Amino acid sequence: MSSVGAGYDLSSTTFSPDGRVFQVEYAQKAVDNSGTVLGLRVRDGVVLAIEKPVISKLAVPGANRRILSADRSVGMAGAGLAADCRMVVNRARGECQNYKHFYGSAMPTEVLAERIASYVHLFTLYWSVRPCGASTLVAGCDQSGGERTPQLYLVEPNGVVQRFYGTALGKARQSAKSEIEKLDLSSMSAKEAVKAAAKIIYQVHDESKDKQFELEMTWIAPETDYEHRRVPADMLAEAEAEAKAAIEAMDE
Amino acid sequence: MPHAVSTGTTIVAVEYAGGVVIGADSRVSTGTYISNRASDKITPLSDNAFLLRSGSAADTQLVSDYVRHMVHQHESQLQRPIDVPTVANLVMQIGYNNKNALSAAAMLVAGYDAATRQGHVYAVPIGGTMVRQKYAIDGSGSIFIYGYCDSEYKDDMTREEAESFVAEAIALAMSTDGSSGGVVRLVTVNEDGIFRRLHAGDKSVPRFGEEKDVHKDLTDKANAMQT
Amino acid sequence: MSSSYGDINVSGGIGLDSESAPFNLELARRNSMIERQGMKLPRYLKTGTTICGVVYANGVVLGADTRSTNGDTVADKNCEKIHYIAPNIYCCGAGTAADTEATTNMVASALNMHRYGTNGRTSRVITALTMLKSHLFKYQGNVSAALVLGGFDINGPHLFTVYPHGSSDSLPYATMGSGSLAAMSIFEAGYKENMTKEEAMKLVADAIKSGVFNDLGSGSNVDLCIITKEGKEYLRNYECPNPRPYASQSFSFAKGTTPVLRSTMLTLKDVVVEEGADAMEVGA
Repeated sequence: MSSVGAGYDLSSTTFSPDGRVFQVEYAQKAVDNSGTVLGLRVRDGVVLAIEKPVISKLAVPGANRRILSADRSVGMAGAGLAADCRMVVNRARGECQNYKHFYGSAMPTEVLAERIASYVHLFTLYWSVRPCGASTLVAGCDQSGGERTPQLYLVEPNGVVQRFYGTALGKARQSAKSEIEKLDLSSMSAKEAVKAAAKIIYQVHDESKDKQFELEMTWIAPETDYEHRRVPADMLAEAEAEAKAAIEAMDE
Repeated sequence: MPHAVSTGTTIVAVEYAGGVVIGADSRVSTGTYISNRASDKITPLSDNAFLLRSGSAADTQLVSDYVRHMVHQHESQLQRPIDVPTVANLVMQIGYNNKNALSAAAMLVAGYDAATRQGHVYAVPIGGTMVRQKYAIDGSGSIFIYGYCDSEYKDDMTREEAESFVAEAIALAMSTDGSSGGVVRLVTVNEDGIFRRLHAGDKSVPRFGEEKDVHKDLTDKANAMQT
Repeated sequence: MSSSYGDINVSGGIGLDSESAPFNLELARRNSMIERQGMKLPRYLKTGTTICGVVYANGVVLGADTRSTNGDTVADKNCEKIHYIAPNIYCCGAGTAADTEATTNMVASALNMHRYGTNGRTSRVITALTMLKSHLFKYQGNVSAALVLGGFDINGPHLFTVYPHGSSDSLPYATMGSGSLAAMSIFEAGYKENMTKEEAMKLVADAIKSGVFNDLGSGSNVDLCIITKEGKEYLRNYECPNPRPYASQSFSFAKGTTPVLRSTMLTLKDVVVEEGADAMEVGA
């Protein structure tokens, strides 16, 4: 990287001569080194999946969750520093509560994503704070009239929000994204998307290099009454089994 | 200090099969003086929701101005029309947060949501209460028409039935309540839009013992204006 | 209302709860309490007044009497009650003279600043109305200004009444002040839609005269102000129905008008001046 070490990377309040803010780019690097995170927005719902490295053999399975709920029907999957993710989710929870109290209805996912982005952006503006080392996928299902519209947004450390049909973050984001591109998301059901997501996570996992991992997966679907829920254990086990089988079949 | 301007009032709102009908008298008084005999107490809050004001004019005008401001901001952020329940919630929030500053005023929020094809009537008095009702009446004149409304209200009225229900309720209240009078203003909100009408003063107010004739007169008039 | 949820605070917006209120109205409450207990508070200079306005075919006519009172006494026989707000907006004031003057001045200067900031675009009457009513609401009726606001802007002619508590009405003809009942009777009898300028001027002048002659608080002359698309016409003392019956007289008297009954002369030599004496004690 040009200009590294020239002193322009010490503060997020200083631009480099070529117009970059290195501290923010470094925050993005923290996200890029994280375990793979996946979001799929399909016909009738949204699925979030995370490849969570198992840090210790003594760790309790299912602990240290990285996909959290911000509201009854809003899920957030975080990539990057776990503590920063938690901070962002806590803020999102506050935003949702406050919106519901003030307006008497659930917060639209887009508005939530924009508010989170504004919050995260604040950390790039002041000398006294460090940028937020977390990207979050915000999944929701907005209700307007009788219609339910699945939503998926990405909020990055620099404060940018983007709306996606499907996207991936973390170590294997590139290969995961090219796998997502092969899917026909607009006709897929949430149930099918759960299997597809599991398959991609297993597929992009590099067994030779990476540690053991645990697949964490949540969804918002007609099956959950459009609330954000963890994928049921039996369904998850089935998806994992199918994923493993598919990969073995490919390897042969 | 002089008398505060107060809309000693009769306001009525009713949900019917395809929308809502709301109505109000037009009298505004300061003490014993009628400072406006043809005022409009049906204040728009959004394209599809209205506030029916009773009580202190200054307080309720302020509430409606604030809510209109917030509705505007909210609609520009959402890029879609605001829901009537949300509008009612905003009125409630202002009424709750400022219950010590605003004098007791009863307001009704009514409107029609095109997205859900649903009419809504809310009673939202200052203080933080917000209750959805099939029909709601308020203002000083309302005490005179509880009996009429309870006996005449039906679920799922037609538009014509709802309009004459509201018009006659207000006309009756105007005939008995000294603080209600002037003209009857009616607004119907439904899928096709907003329809405003008024029944001019002397002809719409029933005199004691002649209510039945006036009922017919009003219904005929309503039907005539319909076409 | 901004993006961060912590900022949403409607109560702060209205500014009447004790924590965020910009003004402390406790003394007003105390004053009215001790007044109820029988103490006489000092009187304000009030404009017991007749003011009014009508909308006609292509403009607005505002009118006012010119009496200013202090209790039962007339303080000024020819004061101005039609205040400038903007070149296209004027405002008649009734109530406490200081309050109507200060309120209208404040809005006039705020609109002037607003025009500087908006490339000199013509001010709107609704803007003046909103400024007036939010100011008056904030003071909960303690700013004693009852106003008739009229003007012509991009949306045509406008006429509003504003009450001291901050409520307002939009009307085709309006009256305010102690003579408002007398003036309203003239309007109710004589108002027509789409009057000519001359008809409107006569109606307003008649309404003001009705206040001048029938209301104790109103008197002296009639001021008019006509506002149209083309501009304003301020007719100070348009009618003077109460001329002085005799011209002011000279108060100098011929020598000898008062007879001298007795005269005494004192000489200075009886006065003893004591040098070096102590100064007289004068303090408390």
